Amino acid sequence: MSNINGKVYAMNAITPMKPWKTWILRGIFFLLGHIKPLQKDLIDLSFIEFARWVVLPRKGFPFLGNNQVKEDLKYDYLLFFSNFNGTWNQYIDAFSAVLSKGLNLVWRWSEKFPGSVPVTPFKEYIARVQFDTDYYYTAYPHATANDIKSAHIVQSSLDHLGLLAEQCSPQQFADAYLRFVLQVQAHLGETGEAPVAG
Amino acid sequence: MPNKNGSVYGLTILSPIIDDEKAVPSHDLQIRNYLAKLSTREDSPFALAPGTHLARLVVMDDVIYVGMPACEEHLKSKYLVFESNCDGDLDAYLHGLADKTPDRLDAIWKHCVGYPGAANRLAFIDYMKACQLDTTFYFAAVNDKSVPETLRALQTQMAVADFIATHQGSDMATLQHEFIQFVAHLKSLPLPKAGSMGPHRDIKTGGRNE
Repeated sequence: MSNINGKVYAMNAITPMKPWKTWILRGIFFLLGHIKPLQKDLIDLSFIEFARWVVLPRKGFPFLGNNQVKEDLKYDYLLFFSNFNGTWNQYIDAFSAVLSKGLNLVWRWSEKFPGSVPVTPFKEYIARVQFDTDYYYTAYPHATANDIKSAHIVQSSLDHLGLLAEQCSPQQFADAYLRFVLQVQAHLGETGEAPVAG
Repeated sequence: MPNKNGSVYGLTILSPIIDDEKAVPSHDLQIRNYLAKLSTREDSPFALAPGTHLARLVVMDDVIYVGMPACEEHLKSKYLVFESNCDGDLDAYLHGLADKTPDRLDAIWKHCVGYPGAANRLAFIDYMKACQLDTTFYFAAVNDKSVPETLRALQTQMAVADFIATHQGSDMATLQHEFIQFVAHLKSLPLPKAGSMGPHRDIKTGGRNE
């Protein structure tokens, strides 16, 4: 079992939904996908690298024949996979504090969802519907989502200054370099091994 | 398309695991045993093949019963879940995996129903697509950069921090000259290997949990 690799935590959760409710949820996700301002809180939770929700209809489980027995289910299922930085408790606490309305909108269609506030029953519910990861890979285990965003800002600023450096006088370069340092100074945090989470 | 966010593809695959009561240990346990020993670093199959940002493999034993008044129900098969966040085109990504690490793919998926093997590329891709689930909503914090671009940017970030620290107070002509050399040197460096922790650096201040 390896839910953690470097600075990233892999979370898996599955919750049952009555089939008629999944159409409401699909509609909500459609709106969320097409109206970008609705994603603001999710983007503001800057420790999420990737996350996805998959509505899996009760008759939508892959069936390949070859003596596989076909599933016979009453519920549709909502699968949730998240890749986030920090600990499980930090993640759930932040989710509950910042995204409570959004979370309720997504999970209220799942059976027995208690609501994301107060946080104690919410954590109990997540712990119940979560299942562990057997293998977890990341191309950059030493970097968080914020490190990656910052690194691309530094790269872009450096590329710009690199082009200018060949063409200007030392005085012009010194001025441009100072502007460059001001641009990137907040994006030079140290990457490396994650601290040991308690 | 919900499977894509910008240039990043969110691949979700559910492969039914062979249920054979004569197999000892059971196929799901054989997958778990293999995955427990599989490297997650530079020699991971997902590091050797191009284009994986993050990926996971999970044996899903059953659906979860949340308690009364919900109905209790169970799956007839266990499933291997493959969740990947990868660059670009799905066919090219699956081809890359099959080209670079066919043995390891086979070692994992041979325990799944109907798996044809990675040697037969077309059958392999058809199989993976037959097991694919469409993502309903997909979020990516950075959705316009490839894996090599991100590895390069992280390398640059570290080098720029060092350059700035060591060139404080340099005169203008020296600064410009050395900056041009620095940029040329950075471009000549090989990309850090995917899955690696990058070059080791001593922590300058503080330390673990300080």
